[in-house]
Amino acid sequence: MEIEILGKGAFESALVHLQPGDTFVSESGAMFRASANVDIDVTTHSRSSGGLLSGLKRLLAGENFFFSTYSTEDGQPGQVGLAPTHQGEVYLIEMDGSSDWLCAGGSFLGASSEIDIDTQFQGFKGFLTGEAPVFIRASGRGQLLVAAYGRIVSNQVESELTVDTGHVVAFEETLDYSLSKAGSSWISSWLAGEGIVLNFSGSGRLLTQSHNPGEFGGELGPRLPKRSS
Amino acid sequence: MEYEIISAPSYSAVECHLDAGESVVGDSGAMAWMTDGIQTETSTRGGLLKGLKRSLLAGESFFQNTYTAENGPGAITFAPGAAGDIASYELSESELILERGAFLASQTGVDCDSKWDGVRGLLNEGMFLLRVGGTGTLFFHSYGDLEVVDVESEYIVDNGHAVAWEPTLEYQLTRGRKIRSFLFSDQLLLRFSGYGRLWIQSRSATALAEWAYPFRRVESKSDD
Repeated sequence: MEIEILGKGAFESALVHLQPGDTFVSESGAMFRASANVDIDVTTHSRSSGGLLSGLKRLLAGENFFFSTYSTEDGQPGQVGLAPTHQGEVYLIEMDGSSDWLCAGGSFLGASSEIDIDTQFQGFKGFLTGEAPVFIRASGRGQLLVAAYGRIVSNQVESELTVDTGHVVAFEETLDYSLSKAGSSWISSWLAGEGIVLNFSGSGRLLTQSHNPGEFGGELGPRLPKRSS
Repeated sequence: MEYEIISAPSYSAVECHLDAGESVVGDSGAMAWMTDGIQTETSTRGGLLKGLKRSLLAGESFFQNTYTAENGPGAITFAPGAAGDIASYELSESELILERGAFLASQTGVDCDSKWDGVRGLLNEGMFLLRVGGTGTLFFHSYGDLEVVDVESEYIVDNGHAVAWEPTLEYQLTRGRKIRSFLFSDQLLLRFSGYGRLWIQSRSATALAEWAYPFRRVESKSDD
């Protein structure tokens, strides 16, 4: 399976070239183009794991209830194009199986079917972030696609890095993380508009995004007509 | 007419260089900047009925502006509302099908006509498609990047991501043969068949609007 990242600007997308026998999984609705020999199946799970419960867990993670799985049905190669909602970059992670990756809410775009996708609840710690209280955990060996709002920066954390929760895209599980306040006190953090940040420590890769979708939503919301509920 | 598509692909605009006496048509609101000496004439281009059809049915503007370089050459730049790319297409007594809202500008020999597309069209993003025909250069735009596919036999595009296609392509609205969930409402697909060129946009304005929806403030009871 070969994955091309198309578009070299503000609007990247991924074109997955499927060989006969290959299967690729994405968030449902992420597919925007496909060759006609691609079979699209809708499931609530990525591989053997799951069922209805894993679909519900994913809803809580801010992801879609369903996965779409793609494979070619006629023994010929095929292609599937995947795109996120926001403008921004798409990033391909080649997973070698040595460590799991955790994807922050909404950033998971797709994965080859050898990768196991699970939803990771953070418990109380997660709820506090104001972000989706869960991460998507990808484990195994294969290709993982994530999408960002804006540009993606790949950081190699060697000791510690502090990141605003809304700017985290994905990170290797070799990194330890904890929540903390950005300022010297909770009140000063709140006044600075930097409520809660994630403190990463250890060694591993961390992808951050240049823009925070939640902040953008906060800009748009008051300018739109009110909703009734 | 000489033209240049500038700041492509993410923030494209098209700069048209007009000879003296030459004209170009732009969608209402698409003019970004122009040299002095360009005269603007606003009309329905083809009469009231055509203007109405274009605006009510195809989501384009009722009026279209014709810009003419008088007293010497001039330049005018058109930019779409959404960030994205612009494609040019040469028509020579031929046609191109455009999705609702994709028209940006054209030479005067190009005619926009909305096309009733029956029930298929109703289920589509807009109700109608725009059938653009005649002779001259046509500019259309996308939200996001434009990806070009030369269809040979069949291709599938999510409804709302198809921007334009050549009329040699047949299209059909489908849910895909094996999409087996009736709960699964977000994937209406367009299945193209035949031989021809197809332009696809890499983002959907509908998807962005749906994403933004939960950020709206809640109406309080006393607001009535």
